[in-house]
Amino acid sequence: MLQYVVRRLLYSSVVLIAASFLVFVFVAKGAGDPLAPYYLAPNIDKEGLERIAEAKHLNENVFVRYAYWVRDAVTNQFGTTLLTNEPILPDLWRVMKNTLQLVVVAELLAILFAVAIGVYSALRQYSVFDYTATTFSFLGLATPVFWLALMLQVAVVQIYLHTGHRIFPVANLNSVDPGSGLSFVLDRAHHLVLPVLVLMVASIASYSRYMRASMLEVINSDYVRTARAKGLPESKVTMKHAFRNALIPLVTLVALNFGALLGGAIVTETVFSLDGMGLYFVNALNVADPYPVMAWLMITATMIIVFNLIADIAYGFLDPRVRYE
Amino acid sequence: MRKRSILLLVGALAIAASLVVGPAATAGTSGASAGTVVFIHDQEPPNLQGPWVGNNLYATSLVLNNIWYGGQIRNDKGDFVLRNFAVKPRVVKQRPLTVQFQYSNNAVWSDGRPVVCQDLRATWQVFINPQNNVVSRTGWEDIQSFTCQGKKGTIVFKTLYADWESLVSGGPYAAHIIAGKNMNEMFLNSVPISSGPWRFSSWQKGVQLTVVKNPRFKVAPPMKLDRVVFRYILDTNARFQALKSGEGQVMEPQPQLQIADFLNDRNFVVDRKIGFAWEHIDIQFGPKGHPALKQPYVRQALITGMNRAQVAATLYKDIAPGLPALQSHMFKPFESTYKPNWQKWRFNQQRVIDILRGKGCTGGPSRPSAGNNDIYSCPGVGKLSFRFVTTTGNQLRALTFEIIQRQLKSVGIELVPRFGTGGTVFGTVLPSGDWDLFMFTWVGSPATPITIKDLYGCGGDQNYMNYCNRKFSNILQKVSVTLSASERAKLLNDAELRYMVNDIPSIPMYARPVFVIRSAKVKGPVVNPTTEGSPWNVNIWTTA
Repeated sequence: MLQYVVRRLLYSSVVLIAASFLVFVFVAKGAGDPLAPYYLAPNIDKEGLERIAEAKHLNENVFVRYAYWVRDAVTNQFGTTLLTNEPILPDLWRVMKNTLQLVVVAELLAILFAVAIGVYSALRQYSVFDYTATTFSFLGLATPVFWLALMLQVAVVQIYLHTGHRIFPVANLNSVDPGSGLSFVLDRAHHLVLPVLVLMVASIASYSRYMRASMLEVINSDYVRTARAKGLPESKVTMKHAFRNALIPLVTLVALNFGALLGGAIVTETVFSLDGMGLYFVNALNVADPYPVMAWLMITATMIIVFNLIADIAYGFLDPRVRYE
Repeated sequence: MRKRSILLLVGALAIAASLVVGPAATAGTSGASAGTVVFIHDQEPPNLQGPWVGNNLYATSLVLNNIWYGGQIRNDKGDFVLRNFAVKPRVVKQRPLTVQFQYSNNAVWSDGRPVVCQDLRATWQVFINPQNNVVSRTGWEDIQSFTCQGKKGTIVFKTLYADWESLVSGGPYAAHIIAGKNMNEMFLNSVPISSGPWRFSSWQKGVQLTVVKNPRFKVAPPMKLDRVVFRYILDTNARFQALKSGEGQVMEPQPQLQIADFLNDRNFVVDRKIGFAWEHIDIQFGPKGHPALKQPYVRQALITGMNRAQVAATLYKDIAPGLPALQSHMFKPFESTYKPNWQKWRFNQQRVIDILRGKGCTGGPSRPSAGNNDIYSCPGVGKLSFRFVTTTGNQLRALTFEIIQRQLKSVGIELVPRFGTGGTVFGTVLPSGDWDLFMFTWVGSPATPITIKDLYGCGGDQNYMNYCNRKFSNILQKVSVTLSASERAKLLNDAELRYMVNDIPSIPMYARPVFVIRSAKVKGPVVNPTTEGSPWNVNIWTTA
């Protein structure tokens, strides 16, 4: 297996390098000159701007700039921001921690609910519960994330305006005075309720459909019929023989989704103004600063690759027939 | 498996319970406590350095203006107001320009040391040090000598620098704090001292920045509040929702339609004024511009064919009804020096057609028609079809374009949209001169007229139109070295009316309104159209 992992990591590093170059070119060429707005400011110190352009090699061609970026990324922890010259990594760690809190809670809850719904729907195929779950799943899949987030905000504000009770905050990660220790944790959880709900809806809708389909396929298979014929209790047949095998497609989906979400739930974080990876990326794009964008890309791409690999390895544990070659 | 399921269930319940308990546990702290005002803002400063490249932002000024306190401030009308910090600085000699000032005995730093002349001298050194990435050295580099005696100082300028008052009245750095420090890295995350009504307390990046009352501030009535918390909410809708739900009490929104919701809400007070930023359409005079635009009659046709008053009224009918079309590039309608110099050009579509036909243009309509598709061609300059450049993603600009495009098309002039991102149009297109009409905003200040030669003078640094009228340019040059504000205003108004209004190098559209929304429980915040922002009078703010 080690050989397999090493081989996959080698392939992945090639993908990372290619992706980093393409994105660097798109950002450098597509967003225009990041110093441009400053040339419009009255009485701007143009020599100062030229010094920055020189220090950051903005006057070089895109290949040379990319090479300098690679040097900084490898030897100087992704280097510094273009204009304010601040180290990129501390900010990235900060926003990554915030995104992790959001995504881990949302995904764990989503998996829990989705698996339960999917399994029960499959076991009670064409029942009222199954039809209801199916309807809500399609609704969840069809609902745009930004719209749901806005509606939740509006609903919470309307409740506040009518009752004077603010059940959930509509923005930000914590209160003005969040306290410390458990008080801080609870305050953070309170602020994450709406964003977690938004992320959960889409994930539950998608995961529960996969789980249902996969479970239906397994419970109608020969080995499950054999288990039943041998007189095993239904609960054992379901949980031990069917459920475990039915998890395999979901593992792939969850792993890929989780890796992507660690790059930031861009829409959710933007609508709720959460200081996470997604908002960090949007802000960096807005100021046309290629360096934080590139750092974000590398972290996100690495996460996706790592979780993809984890999914592949997990197959082996769930299905002993899988061999790593 | 059963045990695992039970564990999973317990875990889920624990998480769910924490989410439910959260509201009860934090309800008391999520709003503002007594003596606290939460100021919701749309942008977080990248650091606290101030006027440094990459950080010359309003968001930073909002925090720093009351930390690095100045002798004077621009009030809500844009006029200088004495703040008792320094005795009013005065010119003691015109040639060479020599200025004297003296700090008040009550002017002290938050560590108890007095504010002295050496502090402003050290500030001058910061701004002229080529190693420091300051955004502008204008004025500072014109200082010949700076002599200090305790709280008194004398500055001699190399040249007549008309905006000397802004320099001398600006908030100085604390010399004893910055001595020997690398200013490019000095105030990245905090400011350890203050001479103003508040001092820096804490900064949770990505969330909020807190300033608290400076107990040593004595030159004006001290802050009544204990603290002001700047909450950074980047999403427009979330900002308005947060204000409505009481998560903040004061906000300075961009001109957005959501403001209308607050106008009739008795829980909020909306203050609005016209600001210093003005929207305009520049016309290209250079070789890459359309040859027709070099003809005065074509420019006259353009301005006569645009209903500028209708544009302003349509864009702002819900949130700032009655916003007038701007009739001056020099001053804004609320300034006492404002003269409606451009009023001469009134909207008259038939007149446009008469002008064009009178010059031999053909192919266009004989009378204005909303459904017209015929475009005029004029002798020697071709079809009147112009590339119109502006930024994408700006609803107000898109609407402005649609209105004037329709108005001009109905008289036989075509506008072809060439929209792009801010980085591209300002970074590449604008300086290249390869455009015909360009709509954007100049962010002005009360001092802008002093340096307006950079915008409209021959070879001006930001004269991207390549417009040049020598006589006009000479007057703008003279303005930049005229010390008297009233004399400057007279020169500018006369020159604008005499030359610029006839040349029409740029069409003024409207000055953008500025807003402050505050909870009715908070008293004090009002619009200040300068970069001082609404906290300019924070010492009188109170909260119920």
